[in-house]
This record gives sequence, C-alpha cells and structure tokens, in this order.
Amino acid sequence: MTGAAIVGAGDIAIANDLAFGYPLTGGRRREVLRGVDLALRPGELVAIVGVNGSGKTTLLRLLSGVLAPTGGELHLFGRPVAAWSRMELAARVAVLPQGLELPAGFRVGELVAMGRLPHARSWFGSTGQDEAAVERALRDADALDLASRTPDELSGGERQRVLLAMALAQEPELLLLDEPTLHLDLAHQLAVLETIRRLRHQRGIAVVAVLHDLALAAALAPRVAVLDGGSLVADGSPDDVLTPELVRRVFGVQVEELFSADGVRHLALIVPGEG
Amino acid sequence: MRAAAAVSPRSLAGGPSLSRSGLVLGGGLVLLVAAAVAAVALGSTSISLGDTLGILGHRLLGIGSGTGWSATSEEIIIELRLPRALTAILVGGGLGMAGAAFQALLRNPLADPYIIGTASGASLGAVVALMLPLLAPGLALGAGSAWLGIGLVQVLAFLGGVGTVLLVYAVSRSARGGAVTLLLTGYAVSSILAAGVALLMYLSGSRLGAIFAWLMGSLDAGSWPKLALAAPLATVSLLLLLSRWRRLNVLLLGDAQAAHLGVDVGRERLLLTMLASLATSAVVAVAGTIGFVGLVVPHVLRLVAGPDHRLLLPASVLYGGALLTLADVGARLAGGIPVGIITALVGAPFFIWLLVRSRRVEALA
Amino acid sequence: MAGIRQRSFSVLAPILALLLLLAACGTTQSTTLSSIGVATSNAPTAAPTFPVTLTDDAGHSVALAATPERIVSLAPSNTEIVCALDACDRLVGVTDFDDYPTSVKEVPKVVIQAKVDVEKVVAARPDLVLAAGNGLTPDAVITQLTGLGLKVLTLYPTDLDGVYADITLVGRALGADAAAAQTVSGMRARVAAVTDKLASAVRPRVFYEVSVFEGSIYTAGKDSFLASLISLAGGDPITGDPKSTAIQLEDLVAADPQLILLGDASYDPTLATKDKALATVRARAGWEGMSAVKAGAVVPFLDDVVTTRPGPRIVDGLEALARAIHPELFGG
Repeated sequence: MTGAAIVGAGDIAIANDLAFGYPLTGGRRREVLRGVDLALRPGELVAIVGVNGSGKTTLLRLLSGVLAPTGGELHLFGRPVAAWSRMELAARVAVLPQGLELPAGFRVGELVAMGRLPHARSWFGSTGQDEAAVERALRDADALDLASRTPDELSGGERQRVLLAMALAQEPELLLLDEPTLHLDLAHQLAVLETIRRLRHQRGIAVVAVLHDLALAAALAPRVAVLDGGSLVADGSPDDVLTPELVRRVFGVQVEELFSADGVRHLALIVPGEG
Repeated sequence: MRAAAAVSPRSLAGGPSLSRSGLVLGGGLVLLVAAAVAAVALGSTSISLGDTLGILGHRLLGIGSGTGWSATSEEIIIELRLPRALTAILVGGGLGMAGAAFQALLRNPLADPYIIGTASGASLGAVVALMLPLLAPGLALGAGSAWLGIGLVQVLAFLGGVGTVLLVYAVSRSARGGAVTLLLTGYAVSSILAAGVALLMYLSGSRLGAIFAWLMGSLDAGSWPKLALAAPLATVSLLLLLSRWRRLNVLLLGDAQAAHLGVDVGRERLLLTMLASLATSAVVAVAGTIGFVGLVVPHVLRLVAGPDHRLLLPASVLYGGALLTLADVGARLAGGIPVGIITALVGAPFFIWLLVRSRRVEALA
Repeated sequence: MAGIRQRSFSVLAPILALLLLLAACGTTQSTTLSSIGVATSNAPTAAPTFPVTLTDDAGHSVALAATPERIVSLAPSNTEIVCALDACDRLVGVTDFDDYPTSVKEVPKVVIQAKVDVEKVVAARPDLVLAAGNGLTPDAVITQLTGLGLKVLTLYPTDLDGVYADITLVGRALGADAAAAQTVSGMRARVAAVTDKLASAVRPRVFYEVSVFEGSIYTAGKDSFLASLISLAGGDPITGDPKSTAIQLEDLVAADPQLILLGDASYDPTLATKDKALATVRARAGWEGMSAVKAGAVVPFLDDVVTTRPGPRIVDGLEALARAIHPELFGG
C-alpha cells in the first residue's frame, strides 16, 4: 500500500487520497471513489480491474481531467489538475472511449484530423505538422488503409482502430483506454493488446487500460490495480495482486493458478459442475 | 502490419475534396451575385438593365459620366433596391449560418435559428413597440419617428430575442440537462411569449396589419441606416462563429468525446448559442421572423456537401443570402407580399421532396 | 420639381436624417390631433404664400417651399379632401380603394390592397404625400418616405372638428385656403341643419353594427369618431371597447338597443333588405330579447362608406345616420 506520494518532476499522475462522489438532490453525494493513492510514471502500463460499479470509469475520467475530484488531490504532469485548462490537458491526455459511434458524412482521415484540435494553430487549414501527425497516428493504429472510408463501411474492429488513431493524433503522453476489448472478437482483442504494447515501446506513451477480462489484464500489463467498492485494494504485479484469495474476495469467483510449460502463470476459472 | 496504401497526406488531414468544396462555394457565389443583380434590376417600376448597371457603376465604382438616366431611377436603385438587396443577403446569410450552428449544437437536423426562443422573444418586443401608441400614448414618443432611421421596433425586437435566449439558457442550465432540456425549455418559453403576442394582437385593433406583416417577415423596411445597425453586429457574430468550425465538428462526436478532445463543452455551447442568437436577433430586428431559410438551407447543404463545418458554414451564408434575395424578388413582383410567405410556400414542399428523395435512396442502398 | 433630394449613401445620410429629425422633434411630441395645424400667422382667407411650415396630426413639422403640383394620396379620405379643394388634377398617385369622385379611378395606383408600393410613390415624383395616421399608413412607410426626402403630411381626424382642421390644413398646403374655407363652412352649415332639428328630440339607444363574426361583435368604440356621429345624429350610441371596438353579447343585451343599424349590410346578403335582416338578426342566439329586435327596428345601413371615411363627405354620413335614426324628422 503506497502512502502519500510526493510529486516528482516528470510524473504523469499522482493521486493522494483521491475521492469522487456524484451529486444527488439535497446536497448529498453518491460516493463512487474514496481514498485512492496512485502514482503513474512516464511510459508505465497499468491495467485497472474490478467489478461493474467499482469506480473504474470514474477513475479514468478523473485521470483525463474531465471530472474534478470532490476529495483528495490529483496532480497531472506536475501541476494540480485544476491548474490545467481543458485544451492544455487534451494536448497531453487522450481517451479511447467505450462506444464505437462515429458521425456519418466524414471520412476517416477527417475524423482522425479532429484529434488535432488541441494542437491546431491555423484558422482555416491544417499545417504540415498536423498532416504528419495524422498520418503517423493512422499508421500506429494500423488504420492507414481506412483513411478514405466512411464510418458506415467499417466493422467494429476497424472503428476501434479509427478511434484509437483519433486519440493518438492528440500526441498524448498518457493514453486512457476504457474497456478497449468490449465489443471485439478474440482475434481483434489480441490485436488491440499488441498495438498497446507497441505504442508503449515505440512512442513511450503511458497507458492506463480498464479491462474486465482478468486473463487479458494479467497477460498485458506489468502492473494491475484492483478497485473494489471505490477503494484501491491492490496495486502491483499480476502475480502478486491476482491471487485466488483476492479474486474470490473481490470478484466472487473461484480461480485456480495453473503454470504452463514456459513457467507463465495463468488463472483458470472454476465452474461448478452439475448436480 | 499491412502495407500502407498510397494516400496523399493532403487527403488524410484535409477536408472534403478541394474540387467538391470549390464547386459548392463557387456555385454559391455565382448564385449570390446573380440574385443581387436581379434584386437591383427588377421591381414594380421598370428601369432598363443598362441604366441599372450604369447607376451602380457610377455610384459604387465611380465609373461613367453619371448622366443618361433620371434622378428618380437613381433614387430607386440606390436608396430603395440596393439596401434592400444587401439586407436580404445579410438576413438570409445570417439565418443560414445560425441555422447550421443550431443544428450542430442541438444535434437535430430540424433545428432552426428560432428554436430556443429568439423568434417569440423578438416578436413580443416588436409587437409591444408596434402597440405602444395604443397601450401607453405618453410613452409613444412620436412612434413614427426614428432615431437615425432605427425605430423602437428594431431595438425592442433585438432585446427581446437576446433576452429570451439568455432566459432559456439560464433555466435549462439550472435543470442541468443537455441539448434536449434546452430544446424543451425553448419550446415552453416560446409558448408563453407567443401567448403574450396573441393577446396583444387581439387588443391591437388598427395595428393588426402592421403586426401581422412583421411576424410574417418582410424586407420592406430595408434601408441604409438599418443595414448600418444590423450588419456589423451580425457580421462579427458570424465571423466568430465561422472561426470555431473545428469545435462545431468536434461537438458532433458527442459531449463526452468533445471534452476529451479539449472542448469545454458547457462554455462552448453557451458561446456558440450566444453568437448564433446575436446574429439571429440582429437580422430579425430588421426583417421580422422569416421562416424556413435557417432550416432548409443548412439541412440541404449538409445532405449535398457533408457535415464538415469548414465548408458548411460559409456555404450556408452564400446560399442562404442568395435564396432569400431571390425570394424577395419574387415577393416584390407578386405584389409586395411578405417574403416570409414565399419562403414558407417554397421551402416547405422542397423540404418534403428532399426527405422523400433521400428516403428512397436509402431504401435502394 | 421639389421633393426628391440626391444623397450619397455614405455616413452623411444618417447624420442628415438625424439633423432633420432633431429639427422636427423640436415641436410637440403628441400623437393625437393638434387641433389647428397652421403654424404661421396668416389668416385663412389671405392669399396663399409659400414657403410655409405646417404641423400635421402626428406632430411632424413639414416645410413646403412652393405650391405642390404633384400630390400622392395614401388614403381614400385624403383623396376626397384634395378633390373637394378643386385640386383633383394634381393627383399623381392614389389607392385602389379610391372611388370618389369617379375620375380618380384613372389616376395611377401607388397603394394596392392596402400595401404602399414605395417604388411607385418615388417614381411618381410627388412634392406632397398625404398619409393616414394611427398606423393606417404604416409608421415604417412614413419613416421611409420621409427618409427619402419626401414631404409627408399625416392626417388623422378623430371627430368633426378634426376633419375641418384637416381640410383647412390641406388647403393651406395646396395654396387653396379659400376653397378649404368654403368647404368647411358648407359642412358646418349642413351639420347645424341636422343638430338644430334634433334640439328636443328623444334619443333612442342605437347600436351600430360594424361586423359580427363567430361570436365576436364589433361596433363603434367608446369615444370614437363614429360614436360622436351617432350622438350628433340624435342617437344614444351603445359603444364597445375603445381599443378593440369589440362588445360582449352580455353587455349588448344589458344595454338593450332600441334601434340596430347594420353597417355591414353592404357586404352581407343576409342583411341586404329589411325583411332578411330582421330574420337574420332575430335568429341570432341571445338577440331576440332586445327591444330593437322585438320592435322590428333593425335597419340595413348602406351608407357605411361615407359614415366611416373621415373626409368631406362625412357630413353625408351624418345625414344618413340622422335619416335612419329619426326618419320622422328627416324624411328617411
């Protein structure tokens, strides 16, 4: 359990006793997140797991700066989150949202170019810098061949790649992914994970991914944070964090540890038999 | 990793293809100029085209001898038809762009610039001003007179329009909703104000004709002083609106995603609403509530040229201005009926035809 | 050819307009009748002298440099005044409702279906425009015409004295003071002839029906010109709301008219003759109890035009009312 962390230069995010509650009538709040201490360094890759309603998406939205904390402190890129303007943060933090909707009538290249808004300099056109960034984002997201298509022609996986390219066009230092594997079939899920790894290594982007699949989380990330009822109950390597006891306590299911021939630990879900 | 297709950088990040943009904007410009010439050349008094062009050339560009036509013709062209044509362009262009902005803001392709209360507020202001000699003779201040050609009607109409939008915005904000709340609040407030207008109309007696003409919208009172008042305000608002085309595009991604891309959604909506409403109120103040232009023009352009606001906004100005100018020529030649009647009679069936046609295309696809 | 000035459309124009208006606004701001419109000290019967500055019924000050030779009238009553002053031949623009005298039907129309065509007015090159007040000529049009440099006199008489004053005013404007004085004195004499005979007559309660439509009843408004005429003609007028001229059926029944004059008889075939009119009115729900209906005193009144047009023939209207209200005195 980390104590209060000291903000160091170059830290992506530091959360101290972070809390958030949604406002209700009568001035009360519905507490969704409480007492979260978290530190994120440049280039780190963290998977956040927990049951539905445990506060994962809320934590992501706090990290993007779109939500303001109602308790505790949050520093992003060395400054309190309130000291940043929306546009300044958008030039550093990008979000891949859960849904796959894209507005009709635009071609993919134009949609990805919208991600340049935080960096846009010229009034009416796009600069060479913008165009280069868009091309690089499409390439990184493996969507370059989709550039002149329109959304109605795209499959779920392709839309995902377009949205990723849009986020990458922001040239972020921190990329937040909200359930990036939710609507995808298995092959595409793996492809997304591959892309995330590649981005981290090639571009040095810090990545925080909310995942519902524990196996994927364990396979993808060197660091897993577990949320339970709004509190951070574990934060460390998958082997240390995702023990059968914790999984039973937090997720309410039985798992068994299995070790494959190459020594990699896997979790197997124990399904009760009939009778 | 698949091989990258040979796609030019220009088409990756650029807007709609240059040729399509050029065609749309060029077509709009041509139509606008043609409409303006028609508006100045045609009228209930016939003046030859040669005289018309000669007068325009002489007064506007300083070319030509300045003789060869009667002073009356020059008076009619320069003092009556020219300001009226320019007012039509300003009003049509303003309504077009404001309509495009509201359709994006409210994420509703059937929105028009009046939808959150500008029309009802401006109408109430104008009707109060028109009724003042009846309601409170002491306050009438010689209601026929005007300061610098701007009467009480224009001032109260403008204040009514802007004030109502502020009220609707404040009420919907306290209800903490998004686009739908704004629409519903606008509808409710508009209904109340419309009832007020109806009550005043009932009491209006001899003023009813003037009130009705104003409500239908007409460019009869187009004059240089009115243009000088409305044009700067409307133009500045429209230019500012135009400069925010990127944010309008981003808002199409949804409020959440727009926030992630750096847009302060609450503040941006307010700013865009106010800019569009200022432009709308400025043009309504001088021309009354002309309908359909702000709805049909941006809607059709979006179907034809796409939703990218970098093209849609300027195109809405050109085509909106051109179409209203042409409608006004029709209105004048038909005996001086209010131009709002023409825009409704032409706009509505055209709109229905478009809906039917696009439905059929969808069914075939 | 006075009246139309050339201006550049630059900044100068609003400044000039402002100066003009400041000069105009120096006089009274009242929108009601200014009872005597002549501002100079000339006696009405002196030879007409120009230039002259006149104040019209809207309080505007209008300066005329010379005798107007081209006159545009924006209302039938104004046209009749001009013709009564023997200046019919100076008319260059009238409305499509003008019908008296019949010669005016040949004059070009500048007002069509109550819509003033400003281009046509300008094209007629008038040196005097006679407009109608109280919004009958829209204020915006008056402003526009004045802004174009035209001389616009707005007339709005609210009673007989107002009509006399307007005739005198127009006479002054046209340099036809003598004709004006003659017309006015003739009118006064005829009015006196009517009122003298009525000295001791009993005044019946008279309801003048302007129109009845879908449950709304319109009549002479309280203190209106029409109400004053009915009084002068020896009746006790039942009046409606001063602004909307409407009257509630309850109030009409309570007022219990003894005579109903149908001013809408010219436009409604069911009211065209006495028998038809009586049958129609009797059939209206709630009307059958009125004294007038019970006594059969329901009369089609076909002279509504002269009774409601505030020009020289208003006296014809008065006489028609007197004949209808007191047939025993006026041989109706």
